Amino acid sequence: MSSFTDIRSAARAENRVILTEQESKTVLKAINIPITEPILATNSKEAANISSEMGFPVALKIASQDITHKSDVGGVRLGLDSQEEIVEVFDQMINTVKKEAKGSSIDGITVQPMAPPGGVEVIIGVTRDHQFGPVVMFGLGGIAVEILQDVSFRIAPLTPIDAEEMIKEIKGYKMLTGYRAFKPVNMDKLKDLLLKVSDLAMQESEISEMDLNPVFAYENDVVAADARIILTDN
Amino acid sequence: MDKERKANLDRALNPKVIAVVGDKKITDYMWLKSVKDAKAKVYSVQIDENDIPGIEAMGIDNRKSLADIPEQVDYAIIAVPRPVLPFILADCIKENVGAAAAFTSGFAETGEADGIELQERIIKMTSEANFNLVGPNCMCLYHAKVGIRNTADQWIGEGGNIGFMSNSGTHATNFVIRARSNGLYPAKSISMGNSISIDQGDWLEYLGEDPDIEVIGMYIEGTRDGRKFFETLREVAQKKPVVIWKGGQTKEGARAAASHTGHLASDMALWDAMIRQTGAIRVDTQDELMDTMKALLMMKPFTGENMGIIAQTGGQSVLVSDAFGSQELKVPALTEKTHERLRPIVTVVGGSYKNPLDVSGSLTSVERATEMLNGLHDDPNTDIIVMESSIGFIQRRLEKQGQGLDTLIEGLKAFQESSKKPFGVIATWNQNEGELADFRQKVSDAGIAVFPTFQAGAGAIRKVRDYYRKKETLGTK
Repeated sequence: MSSFTDIRSAARAENRVILTEQESKTVLKAINIPITEPILATNSKEAANISSEMGFPVALKIASQDITHKSDVGGVRLGLDSQEEIVEVFDQMINTVKKEAKGSSIDGITVQPMAPPGGVEVIIGVTRDHQFGPVVMFGLGGIAVEILQDVSFRIAPLTPIDAEEMIKEIKGYKMLTGYRAFKPVNMDKLKDLLLKVSDLAMQESEISEMDLNPVFAYENDVVAADARIILTDN
Repeated sequence: MDKERKANLDRALNPKVIAVVGDKKITDYMWLKSVKDAKAKVYSVQIDENDIPGIEAMGIDNRKSLADIPEQVDYAIIAVPRPVLPFILADCIKENVGAAAAFTSGFAETGEADGIELQERIIKMTSEANFNLVGPNCMCLYHAKVGIRNTADQWIGEGGNIGFMSNSGTHATNFVIRARSNGLYPAKSISMGNSISIDQGDWLEYLGEDPDIEVIGMYIEGTRDGRKFFETLREVAQKKPVVIWKGGQTKEGARAAASHTGHLASDMALWDAMIRQTGAIRVDTQDELMDTMKALLMMKPFTGENMGIIAQTGGQSVLVSDAFGSQELKVPALTEKTHERLRPIVTVVGGSYKNPLDVSGSLTSVERATEMLNGLHDDPNTDIIVMESSIGFIQRRLEKQGQGLDTLIEGLKAFQESSKKPFGVIATWNQNEGELADFRQKVSDAGIAVFPTFQAGAGAIRKVRDYYRKKETLGTK
């Protein structure tokens, strides 16, 4: 399996600092972080075959080294249930993205399993601060991070106490302890994920920023459904 | 900081010989005056004929250069014009001065090319010589028991137990002055200035190792080496409380970033995170700094949340409960046994023997106050005891017994000494302000933590409670 070093070298050779979702997830998988694995399809038939092998529902996401905000250009479709739907959506998506993100190179479309329902959406991230070096962020995902900015930070490396406290510190913590239809999430797995991300940030000084967003947290597990790693400029 | 640097810095902070270079008549010889009471021999170095007579009139031996001083200089204060600083610094290095502190300003802090270039030159000199330079652009060093000061207005004497370090000379100076009027005893106050040779992490480590210092406070805007500062803080905060007052909180938002995380990682968010994870204490104003230090140094350690409160009147008892409630502290019901004990002494109609006690006219003597405090103290449901003191109200009743506020303070002091639970007083700004300020000063001088508002008391008690709780968490896992 490719490690961070291989992927980084490949990106550097192409003068890229933003790793694709597939590359970012490969890095995470190598350190045993659960992900929904994207498989690249270059045509609609291939996508349909991959998805039926994978099992429905699936998500289709545009695969491009130039596009970082995939959903902004119509490059994300979630919860697709049949081969027919996949064939239809595949060509539509290629056309839309070509229009919305003119001139971007397109490698194809990735097919990936949908994270199961019933999870709480969280975000885990890393950034490299000019004063403090690598820092780790935790928060509720989706609207909570974008609008309420309900997040907590710790300077890496995290201790297990840091990981626990940064989870408990956010205002929406109660969302994680069981709320209406949501079961309490597995805190040990969530803490473990934070510690792994912290270790990665400490070890790889060429990681400038990283978002695992969203991560779905469940009663028994956690899974990163999307990820983006950005390398340092030099 | 290596051993040689540390030994030299020790020498400068405990000097036998001090040299003040470039002090002037026009600034009223502020630096010579700041050290004139030090337990050290003081020399002046000044070549300006206009300034020398005033120096000699103070009985101070003036020389034309550092090299002319017949003894080994431990600490040099430099107040010369900017272009001269490198030459004086060269002399200090050559004469093996322990440390020099430069009041001289006009370096990188100006943001101008000349200043930045000159600062680079000084950095090169000090790092090549492994020399301790405090500042430049600073108010130098304060050490109470040896009598060196940031300014002649500061208290000097034995028994200081607080170390303060500051990016700003004003706050280094004022901390000491204000701390004394809050019953606190500063030991050292370091004006770090541009911190080019001794950075924020070095000073934190130094104060952390200083056996005189029980509590460290700081005013900080930023640090050159955040990683070193973080790692040092992680160690030092385990040994003694570190209270951090961070300035420049709104100066810069998050930078442009390609990730949510990068976008949200503002300077203050990261300082706040670091303070939490190291077990330091965050304050946002000088007022909070004072109150937090009082709670740390004057109250017995506590991790509980249950307040036992005496208020003088009903209106105050409502507000004081609200203030503690908003800080995750509780005002629980007392046991029936305590109610039986308090009912006969809180007798006035309209008063209350329930927590918070609304004692109204029942507090007729110091002995009565002590009985009430002991009632709260002995109740198993309370962890922390606080007395709200509307002094005009109390005074009128005590006078009938031939007692006064001084007697009350003695009684409170005796209660605090016998108490197993932490104790504090809140004297709010609700009556004659001049009398209140005087009362507070006396309460502080008796070694009792006194807070100026309900919010201030509740806030400080919560910060310090959280500190002890975090210490427990870090110590046991």
